[in-house]
Amino acid sequence: MNLSPLHCFRRRLLTVAVLCAAGICSLDAADVSVTAEMSRPEISAGEMAELQIKVTGAQQADVPQQIAVDGLQVRLTGQSTQVQMVNFKVSSSVVYSYIVMPLRTGKFAIPGVTVTADGRQFRTAPLQFSVADTRAAPAPAVQQAAQSAPPPFPGLQPPPRRARPAPQRVDESRLSFGEITCPKKAIFAGEVVPVEIRYYFDANYQVQVRGKVDFGGEGIVAERFPDPKESREERDGTVYNVLTFRTLLSAVKPGTIDVPPAKLDCQVQVPGGAPPGFDDPIFRQLMGGQSPFMQARDLQVKTAPLHLDILPLPKEGRPASFSGAVGQFDIDALVSNSKPAPGDPATLSVKIGGKGNFKGMGAPVLTEDEGWRSYPPTDKFDSSDDLSYSGVKSFDFTLIAQEPKKFSPGAEFSYFDPTTAKYVTLNTKPLSLQASPGSASNPAVAPDVSVGSGETKTPSKNSGPDHQEVKQGDPVPGMTLRSWKTPLVRSEFVTATLAMLTAALALLGILWYRHVQAHGGSARAQRRRMIAELLASVRLESLDATATFEAALGYLELAVPASEERKALIDSLTARRDQLKYGVGETHPLASTERAEILTAITGLNGNTHRS
Amino acid sequence: MRRFLSLLGLVCIAFSSLHADTASQAQAATESLRSGHPIDAASRYRTLLTDPAFRTACSPELWYNLGLAEEKSANTAVASLCYRRALLLDPTFTPARRQLETVLGTLGLPAPSGWHESVRQALHPELLIVAGSIIGWVGVFGVILFIFLAPRRKIAIAALIVLVILGHGAAVLGTFVDPRRVAADKAVVTSKKAPVLHATPADSGAPGGTLSPGMLVSVLSRNGAWWYVSGGPGLTGWIPSDTVTPLLPAGSSSSGGS
Repeated sequence: MNLSPLHCFRRRLLTVAVLCAAGICSLDAADVSVTAEMSRPEISAGEMAELQIKVTGAQQADVPQQIAVDGLQVRLTGQSTQVQMVNFKVSSSVVYSYIVMPLRTGKFAIPGVTVTADGRQFRTAPLQFSVADTRAAPAPAVQQAAQSAPPPFPGLQPPPRRARPAPQRVDESRLSFGEITCPKKAIFAGEVVPVEIRYYFDANYQVQVRGKVDFGGEGIVAERFPDPKESREERDGTVYNVLTFRTLLSAVKPGTIDVPPAKLDCQVQVPGGAPPGFDDPIFRQLMGGQSPFMQARDLQVKTAPLHLDILPLPKEGRPASFSGAVGQFDIDALVSNSKPAPGDPATLSVKIGGKGNFKGMGAPVLTEDEGWRSYPPTDKFDSSDDLSYSGVKSFDFTLIAQEPKKFSPGAEFSYFDPTTAKYVTLNTKPLSLQASPGSASNPAVAPDVSVGSGETKTPSKNSGPDHQEVKQGDPVPGMTLRSWKTPLVRSEFVTATLAMLTAALALLGILWYRHVQAHGGSARAQRRRMIAELLASVRLESLDATATFEAALGYLELAVPASEERKALIDSLTARRDQLKYGVGETHPLASTERAEILTAITGLNGNTHRS
Repeated sequence: MRRFLSLLGLVCIAFSSLHADTASQAQAATESLRSGHPIDAASRYRTLLTDPAFRTACSPELWYNLGLAEEKSANTAVASLCYRRALLLDPTFTPARRQLETVLGTLGLPAPSGWHESVRQALHPELLIVAGSIIGWVGVFGVILFIFLAPRRKIAIAALIVLVILGHGAAVLGTFVDPRRVAADKAVVTSKKAPVLHATPADSGAPGGTLSPGMLVSVLSRNGAWWYVSGGPGLTGWIPSDTVTPLLPAGSSSSGGS
């Protein structure tokens, strides 16, 4: 059955859509697995190996930047993503590449690496790895190879555009092709070289690029490709659209490597068969020589394979401060705050500039750092090109003076220069500053500084006995429970405060009562007591007459409220008292009858008054 | 009586077994951290710290160790949050203070300073509050007793009044400098990318500066997924709430009001 191009296109579009949907579903349902693999189980001293952690079923994972193994330096260098479709089942995987650089010979056990992917944690199996003590000869004639190599990025001059009649039969060898350019044929392990990959497409045909460049191979680490540059170029009379990709290539193990061709999938619109009635040459001429009926053809454009000789880094002359940097670098240092407050940290920024493998570069080593406490530096890379091949990497060391200091530590940095095939060591001099220890890090209680390991003993006089012997950066054993709330809002504290307040008030009340009691009680009680005493005096038969009348008058003043009756009684008693006191001139006791009358009068008046 | 003692024994056994379980988990996490597996250690510490047993009270050592694990996993901003939480629980925890200063230095932020910090560093606020209250109340009782029982000992009474003022003054000072008092309204920028402050709670809001990861901010208002925060003079605006983490853990009893 013949179908029109429109129908073919629709059918293909539908097929692609179904495939994509199936792929997405398969991706979602995929199981995640994590594996680790060494490129070689054994290497010689001076060589490097590659550790790959492959995360299948996820497109992103959280992996450590470094893996701590005593005697090895294992550093993350890059990642690559692969998506495969087999029998309509799509699987994606991410491969994280680590460079393994031995610092000594021997057998090593690389521990399992914890990888977080898809919200879960996975752990790879431990790997065994050994470094043999063989004397590998340094590579010869690298300089010569480098000098004879073409420049890394040859200029691309877009050719003048020229019309060309479209071919009716497509020559696929001229339709598209790829080229790869590497400036060196022999490189050192760990050295990065810029690689240029160019894909040529005949300008007369529409091309749609599908997917990314597939480039790399065993023992080879290729960085992520930035966006390609587009240009036009004429080759053998044919104008081509050119896509230029650039990346950095590095190798991890010595030997001869044939890097597989760099492949790029694309779809090209080529002239297709015309339906009946439209295949007349006159019709084609009316269309300006172009065929109006095109069909899509899938193409995979390849470059030639790349042959590389990978040379081992020489073991002889390797400085102790060498940490994997290969390239050409220079060094500079500055202190950001030259007069920190006592106890405050100063920051020493060591800047490594140049070109080379910045990702595999370790930190410089501090020198003349006695009396300083330092911490592992943070690093930051400012690239001056889109490949991160050249730029400046800054290492910021946080330094805390343990004694008064006038100079910062110096820094030492070593790298391997592949052009001279020699190690180079750079140094910075101590810089002038003024720093002094704070009270917490007073030399009298100063911690035992061990800068080389980055660990410091930190006695803590306030933090309990468990914290006394803890080294800085080491976990603290034990547990003490402390409340998240301040005591002011805790119920036990509020209750205790209220109890204290109540007790204080109670004590105050008790003591006040006792005080009052001790001082005769209240005024009313004192008045009542005095009234009783006066009445008792009136009743006392041995008391002389004047005193009896005085007591009776006092009783009336205190006990009986003011009234006409009281006034009359007071007047009569006063008159009688004055008579006895001044008239008779004797002070004998009163007769019992008169005493009884007085008592009756004053108590009766008091009773009447109260009743009224 | 015998029944009561049996019940008490059962409660003690249950408590000790719970404590032993927590301690063994903490020990396992610490071993994992020591053996160079910070991601695994961080996961273990996080699981441990979400235990309901740590809702009202928690261990500053566990938060400190989690901070170490996060720091070694390159989560510096989260590490600073953990160290701040350890210092919230125990402001005199010197290892946490030094590690926080280091982390903040690497993040380009200043270390906490000021007289509040000096007081906290020298004396635990809780000690100030509790001991000050005890001394203050002892002074109160002494003043009451001396006024009524020995009113002529003026010097002793004056000394006791000074004791009252000093004791309760210390309690007030401790409350004032206690970081837990205002912790419910504090948060730490934990996103790795510096969040942009917006004038309005929307992505389209006018930008007004950025907050640095690890920075301690005050949460002034909340509007769904947007929080109005202040990181200091001139640094006030709306940020997405997922870029910051409250200083108090979500499960802690003090964070209920936040």
